[in-house]
Amino acid sequence: MNATLAVVLALLGLTLVKATPLIYAALGGVLSERSGVVNIGLEAILIAGAFTSVAVSGATGNPIAGTLAGIVAGMVVAAVLAFVTTRLAVDQIVAGTGLNIAALAAAAFGLVLLYHQPGASREVPALGKNGETTLIVLAFIAAGVLHYVLTRTPWGLRVRACGEDPSAAESAGIDALTTRFWAVVAGGAVASLGGVYLALAELDLYSDGMTAGRGFIALAAVIFGRWTPFGATGAALCFGFFAALQFSLQRAGVPSELLQALPYLAALIALAGFAGRVRAPAADGVPYIRA
Amino acid sequence: MSAVLRTRTVRDLLVVLVVVFGVGSIAMLLAHVSPIDGFAQLFDGAFGTPEEVGETLVQAAFLLFPALGIAVAFRAGLFNIGAEGQLVLGGFAAGWIGAQLPMPAYLAIPAVLIAGALAGGAWGAIPGFLKARFGANEVIATLMLNYVAVLLCTYLVTGPLQQGGSGASETAALPKAAQLPDLIGLLADPHPTLAYVLTPFVIAVALAFVLRWLLFRTVFGYELRAAGDAPEAAKRAGIDLGRTALLAMSISGAIAGLGGATIVAGELHRFNTGLSAGYGFIAIAVAIVGNLDPRWIIVASIAFGMLQSGGIAMQAEAHVPKEVIALVTGLVIIALAGRRVVATRRTT
Repeated sequence: MNATLAVVLALLGLTLVKATPLIYAALGGVLSERSGVVNIGLEAILIAGAFTSVAVSGATGNPIAGTLAGIVAGMVVAAVLAFVTTRLAVDQIVAGTGLNIAALAAAAFGLVLLYHQPGASREVPALGKNGETTLIVLAFIAAGVLHYVLTRTPWGLRVRACGEDPSAAESAGIDALTTRFWAVVAGGAVASLGGVYLALAELDLYSDGMTAGRGFIALAAVIFGRWTPFGATGAALCFGFFAALQFSLQRAGVPSELLQALPYLAALIALAGFAGRVRAPAADGVPYIRA
Repeated sequence: MSAVLRTRTVRDLLVVLVVVFGVGSIAMLLAHVSPIDGFAQLFDGAFGTPEEVGETLVQAAFLLFPALGIAVAFRAGLFNIGAEGQLVLGGFAAGWIGAQLPMPAYLAIPAVLIAGALAGGAWGAIPGFLKARFGANEVIATLMLNYVAVLLCTYLVTGPLQQGGSGASETAALPKAAQLPDLIGLLADPHPTLAYVLTPFVIAVALAFVLRWLLFRTVFGYELRAAGDAPEAAKRAGIDLGRTALLAMSISGAIAGLGGATIVAGELHRFNTGLSAGYGFIAIAVAIVGNLDPRWIIVASIAFGMLQSGGIAMQAEAHVPKEVIALVTGLVIIALAGRRVVATRRTT
């Protein structure tokens, strides 16, 4: 095979590996934000998914059980955020920040309890090459499904209505608080697969800080992708490509910090409006309080 | 203060105590440690000896700076989640300048602190400018800039601004003249001298009172709070919301940057990329528990400083993983995310 072609293929493969967790997290973020809840807690959901999937896979010896447990854990964390932001109408950003701190600490605490050592778990049964491929393909299918759900189903319309104008949605008979709650929880289920991918597909263990801010890069992908499933997936692929490129460009003398900073800088540029019109859902981040 | 407000404050304090002692106890039981023993070690580790009291106050200071910065932004209706990045950048500027200044202490210490404040202020001004000029959401901007700050400092300190040639992710050591005098040394010293007064905690407390005066006794402070409490009304009254946002974020960043400079000048005596143990994030809890009032933020910073310094003793003596402290801190933030002062955050 042509050597250049081999390099390009390796780069594309690595791009998919790096992008997949971002795609899941970003899709979860899109669903949550289209309902009007800014999900700063994506990082916490990734951590919960990664840690729980490892803990359960290690305990049962079954990585599929681990995957399912990881999804449930992501939904539980998302449900905490959903509950306090809908029923208690608290500040979404502040609550999400607290969740990120608590989840990171809880996983570190769990490592000490379960494995009697700080830092990292032992190696557990992982999903293997086939499982990894399935998760990568599933990420793109999830983007298509989410696009369909948001644009073509009654529930998707209700979710978007709650994100744009919850009081108008309520006067049309939609329960805005319940709709937001389930949108955030469903988003948590999707995002948690990003954590599962990191822990059980790319690796076979949980280590402290392994999510490494991917929840925030995913948030950048949501913004850069203009709050749409395909846009966010494209942005995640783009950021995944930067991450994949890092290894080869570092050898060429390009500082790796610059490449690592690109997703954050891209989000800043998008926010400032230099990359065309960027508009969040109108009621994104605004707690809805019934009059 | 109205009776309703006072009741809410009491209720909030009860929530904090229930979270800290309730969740803390459960976590300790999970680790097979008696909560009484665990908390006893925590308090003993934080206040047992004069040195430990000193360390608690130093930790309090490192939290107090970013917490005051966050509070100023919150008062203007802006959530500065980027204190961590501003603090790290301030620390870098302080460490870099400090390591190459052959100056006497009365010049070197102010130069180091001012460098930190300027760098942090400039980093805070970026989201302030983006907000004022383009209406960009400051939460996302400051969040993203956290990572950019750490990456930038890592790049500079291992690349173009490398000192000493070791390739390590830290600057050269500060000369003695640029280091803050040591409070722990003061407490252990039976004959303290005046020079010891210049310590992170004393600077931070003085700054808290200056900020209280600025926020509640000056026209600028009034405008800043008006922009936060009722942006529409403030705009109609002729207050320039963009200018207020830019100034509030710059001040907020400068205070956090000053905090980074005191960590460098007071504790590490050099910058390294891991200088902040998440102070900028824990400070969010400190600011909210302190009700965004500088006086109460001082009290809150001592409480969280106690958790920081006592947590290490608790881990060493009672074998409770110190992560319990961060877990409790995160939960306190969630529990108080509904406080009235927080809920007035500007959403436009």
